[in-house]
Amino acid sequence: MHAPIPHALGLLCAATTLVGAMMVITRKVVVHAVLYLVVTLLALAVVLALLGAPFAAALEVIIYAGAIMVLFVFVVMMLNLGQADSARESEWMRPRAWLGPALLAALLCAELLYALPSLLAPLPPPFAGPATETPLPPAPPLFRLGVHDVGLSLFGPYVLMVELVSFLLLAGLVSAFHIGRRRAEER
Amino acid sequence: MIMHDLFLPTPLPLLSCGIAIMLGSIAWRRSIRRNLSIGLVTLLLALVSVGSHIGAAPVDGAALFLQDRWAVYTAGLVGFSALCILLMSWRDMSGPRADTGTGPHIGMRTDPRTDPSIGAPNATLNATPAGASSGTLDSTSIGDEYSLLVLLGTLGAFAMVYAANFMPFFLGLEILGISLPGLIAYRQGHAMQACEAAMKYLILSGVSSAILLFGIGLAYAATGSLRFGLPVAGNGIPPLVAMAATVMILAGMFFKLSAVPFHMWLPDVMQGAPVPVAAFMAVVSKIAIFSSLVRYFSMGHAPPFLDTLLYGVIVLTILVGNLLALRQTSLTRLMACSSIAHMGYLLIAFYSPGPLQPGTLGAYLAAYTASTLGVFAAINAFATPDGTDGTTILDWKGLFFSRPFLATAMALMLLSLAGIPPGIGFFAKFEIMATGMDHHRGLLLLVLVAGSIMGLYYYLNIIRLMMVPPSLPAIRRGPGASPELTALIIVLSMIVVVGGLFPAFIIHPLFPAYQPGPPPAAVPTQRLTPESM
Repeated sequence: MHAPIPHALGLLCAATTLVGAMMVITRKVVVHAVLYLVVTLLALAVVLALLGAPFAAALEVIIYAGAIMVLFVFVVMMLNLGQADSARESEWMRPRAWLGPALLAALLCAELLYALPSLLAPLPPPFAGPATETPLPPAPPLFRLGVHDVGLSLFGPYVLMVELVSFLLLAGLVSAFHIGRRRAEER
Repeated sequence: MIMHDLFLPTPLPLLSCGIAIMLGSIAWRRSIRRNLSIGLVTLLLALVSVGSHIGAAPVDGAALFLQDRWAVYTAGLVGFSALCILLMSWRDMSGPRADTGTGPHIGMRTDPRTDPSIGAPNATLNATPAGASSGTLDSTSIGDEYSLLVLLGTLGAFAMVYAANFMPFFLGLEILGISLPGLIAYRQGHAMQACEAAMKYLILSGVSSAILLFGIGLAYAATGSLRFGLPVAGNGIPPLVAMAATVMILAGMFFKLSAVPFHMWLPDVMQGAPVPVAAFMAVVSKIAIFSSLVRYFSMGHAPPFLDTLLYGVIVLTILVGNLLALRQTSLTRLMACSSIAHMGYLLIAFYSPGPLQPGTLGAYLAAYTASTLGVFAAINAFATPDGTDGTTILDWKGLFFSRPFLATAMALMLLSLAGIPPGIGFFAKFEIMATGMDHHRGLLLLVLVAGSIMGLYYYLNIIRLMMVPPSLPAIRRGPGASPELTALIIVLSMIVVVGGLFPAFIIHPLFPAYQPGPPPAAVPTQRLTPESM
């Protein structure tokens, strides 16, 4: 039996999220803000993992910290195309800039490593019985929401919502295409 | 299979099929007329089928959708409005503005005119429509997505109206909110202005959706369920969480409804949008969000702290909306401000729950829909391909002499909005007064009276302008409105007049809605109709 995940760990992760978010909105250089945003999203993913939703955590990392951040960085690069001087770029990337995010990320990594054995352990039975007089206040999550559960509910009771989401995507696509094409042709 | 436990109101799959067919038709060969026809047929089918559904409703009430009288009624209004709006856009989209060959050159020539206005957004807002109809794009490439986006927005509105759960509600809201920027950007000849309005709408809609989503998240944390239902403090729910959830959900909805602390975006966006799209925003999206608001708050008892909040919002909404409308020079802007004020009147009825409420809300929504659609249809009919686009109030001067039919219809719609007897608006306002009196909302009714008096000023001002004899003899008799617009205006005028004379038609389908007793009580109907007074 592994030690249950202490509450302090979750609070630490939440605090990391908050610190990262505050740093995002106070940075003056976009690249620095993006670095902190990545840390914020990673911390959020760790919170989700600790809550017993590993699938959501994985999605958070893949979609937000991965794909959307890449898009962000890409756009930042594109916007600075005109005055692209590598001197300024290296000025942005000085150790002082990435030291903060790196520290926070290392903290997150340590937390995750510390909690990993309990996260991977088999789930305890919901309630073994009233035998234990001392209830464990920081109990591990009673269930984990994995890919299987998410898939089942998406194609079970929420199948109509999946269809609606597809129309939402279609609307976004058509709108964006229309506005973008108009702007391009008006130039 | 899973089909047996699905419950789905028929308009949703019908609209989805229509959208799919339209996509296929666009992929096959682009034709604006065909797309508009597909859109009209789909909307007509959806309107006919608002009362039917696929599958059986689950007994435990855990369905995502719900189809009671209120939902069917508001869905009917939404479908009818969308149909009217698509009909209104028929001429703009498929009209004779097909200078396909010269399109790009005109676009190049208008560049210097639009360029300086990039730096000064206020200048673009007041720019006179000098080259209003210089079609900068050929009409074959521009109108394709229009009916598609209208159908998508209507699908979102239907999903909101039928929703009994936060999930379809929010998805519908987003579908509507995402398809609107594309529609707003459709305005001909005012590309910068339209794009500015679209961006404004996109950002503010995103902000309000975020607030709403935060509130929904808190409500879920408090109740553990995504079903509509007010989180009530007590039995394990901390009062602060319940309060924050309710206030945030309410704030998000008020943002979309443009109640007063969150109203600033509506006039700007509606002015930048094309006229039918402005009507779409003023009618379809407002009805959908209002319907959900009523549904959400009918699921439980409102906590007491909401009282002062709602009081403040209602008073501010009515007063500020009317005061803003007093000094407008643009007709769409004026309609936006008056729409804010009308939302305030509606909120009075919303704030007075009871057996009278559904009938009152239904009657007022119908009156607001018919009159607003009528005004926008008249604006659209007034616009000429090579002249004004009808949104400047001064252009309407002397219309009674040049186009008497149009001026009469417009005057009728404005009178109805102002609440003067021949129109349906009088009766609707009367109902609100009755409901408010029932709940002793003296202050609110006082504000309603004050707001209506202010409303009289700016509505009658337009009628006065239309009656001013023109200084020049009216030579330019335009080619007259196109037949479908004329028909639309006639139908809407008939609804306004007949609804004003025989209002029982409108509230009758709604009255037994929330009454649990077995006898369908017809007493309140008789007590309320003005004829029986």
